[in-house]
Amino acid sequence: MTTAQSALARSSASPRSWRGAGLVAVLAAAVALPWLLAEQGYPLRVACLILLFASLAQAWNIAAGLSGLTSLGHAGFFGAGAYVSTILLIRFGITPWIGLLAAALVGALLAALLSLPTLRLRGHYFALATLAFGESMRVIANSWSDLTGGPVGISVPFSEPSFIAMQFQSLRAYYFIFLAALVITCLVFARIRRSALGLRLRALKNHPDAAASLGVDTVRAKFTVAVISGALTATLGVLYAQFMFFFDPDTVFGLAGISVRAALIAIIGGIGTLAGPIIGALLIIPVEELSNLLFSSKAAGLSQLVFGTVLILVVLLQPRGLLALLGRTERRR
Amino acid sequence: MEILQALINGLLIGGVYAVVSIGLTLVFGVMSIINFAQAEFLMLGMFVAFFCWQYLGLDPLLGSLVAFAVVFVLGTFVQRILIERVLHAPEVAQIFLTVGLLIVLENAALIAFGSEFRSVRVPYQTWAVEFGGLIVGVPYLLAFTISLIAGASLWAFMRFTWIGQAMRATAQDPTAALSLGINAKLIRRIAFGLGVGMTALGGAVILPYFTASPTVGGQFVVLMFTAVVLGGLGNVLGAVIGGLTVGVIQTLSTLVLPIQLQNLVLFVVFILVLALRPEGLLRQK
Repeated sequence: MTTAQSALARSSASPRSWRGAGLVAVLAAAVALPWLLAEQGYPLRVACLILLFASLAQAWNIAAGLSGLTSLGHAGFFGAGAYVSTILLIRFGITPWIGLLAAALVGALLAALLSLPTLRLRGHYFALATLAFGESMRVIANSWSDLTGGPVGISVPFSEPSFIAMQFQSLRAYYFIFLAALVITCLVFARIRRSALGLRLRALKNHPDAAASLGVDTVRAKFTVAVISGALTATLGVLYAQFMFFFDPDTVFGLAGISVRAALIAIIGGIGTLAGPIIGALLIIPVEELSNLLFSSKAAGLSQLVFGTVLILVVLLQPRGLLALLGRTERRR
Repeated sequence: MEILQALINGLLIGGVYAVVSIGLTLVFGVMSIINFAQAEFLMLGMFVAFFCWQYLGLDPLLGSLVAFAVVFVLGTFVQRILIERVLHAPEVAQIFLTVGLLIVLENAALIAFGSEFRSVRVPYQTWAVEFGGLIVGVPYLLAFTISLIAGASLWAFMRFTWIGQAMRATAQDPTAALSLGINAKLIRRIAFGLGVGMTALGGAVILPYFTASPTVGGQFVVLMFTAVVLGGLGNVLGAVIGGLTVGVIQTLSTLVLPIQLQNLVLFVVFILVLALRPEGLLRQK
């Protein structure tokens, strides 16, 4: 065997094990990190936000990256989740852990309802319809004051810190909950991509007409991912509510703050890739937090301005995201 | 009587919506790109007219011409620097380019102008005329009239000038237009400039009865898209009819619904039209 051949053999055999080792290393680092940072410190808080928004971007990525459902309305699910669990907690004293389940149900239901009129739409039209969905959820939350508290917002009632109340003294607890959320969304993403459903989705995303004529039930395949993505996004809204303790309709149903941010993070890292949302969140959230920290008193819109500029630059320079820019696109299996 | 009054108010507001929406549909017609940032150009138009009023004492109705001109020029640059580059890019890139533009414009305005609400004072602000028991606010009537003139001018421009014809040719078949010696790039630049300019003009003429702020665009986004989708994306006449319809739907729903739910009616109409007739109510043969 020539050296070239053996090199070839090695390179085709090793990426998998390298990838496995890399994954273990990243996870180990992620688990170790909170012990290196102050328990109540700002850096750990930023780390929590990175995990939460990486999960959100991954949930968006499940719909948009895998099947081309470019949603501009994921805030509709996120906010619904936040309100469902918080209202259950305030009115009936139900633990947010059950709130998570309720939120997932509501998110799935909303996604199913939204899918009925929108799944047959393509590209721009789908984006428009989902934009309208997110915005109408915001309007509903603002006007249905009896239930939501309206524009003034709603607070998660304080209680003794405990696991059951999902309230903790230490930020480390939140960190690990969010890390678990990220691992779960990533596993769901990877699982769908590798499944037969993933194959069908890829076919219909690249060649919708060809896929349909080959007998792929395009609407059903898209419906499945839309519902999964909606349910996951709603549960992340619950985690956000428990972490922030206070929120209002314009925040959790925000177009720029939630819907576009979720998309931006995935796009910056690499849309449709497993690592994209994580890389995107690692870049975007610290930059945003830093500019908030440095300039918030001077200019209110500055971090958002940076955020919009980054979005435009990425789209113009490399629409497939930073992963592609670094020249290591993920291998397709 | 109440219904008739609401109908008239709706048509008057709808006329402005029509002009605002023409801009959006024009851009889509020529380039097949939805400009999600369109409403931000309405905001810019409002601010241009506001500053013309504040520093030059120019009435916003005249200021609307300045707003049109300024935003037209800005639009040609946006087309040249940004939009032109994603014409053949994946849809995701097209969508998020204009979404990014939306965020940049809104927050740049927030930094430059501050978050306070600004309104003009003009003598006719509180005037109203009466026709057989129906009351019509003068600012609404004037805004409607200017919008009508602007819409008609655009129609004449598209119909009778060489550039207008070239624009329609480019919209129908870019390749054929190119082979006829039409400079498609230049035409697209003018089209985008005209599109955002019309929207800016619509923003300026409502200044006597509408407060300007950097976030004002958000109030027009859905309404604009509803109007355009009702009429069929890319269809200019459709946008006019869509705009008028949206105005009427809005005022009629005030009769039966609480204020905040009025917007919801539009969302429902919007999603229904998208779902049932995405090509618009006036299907082009």
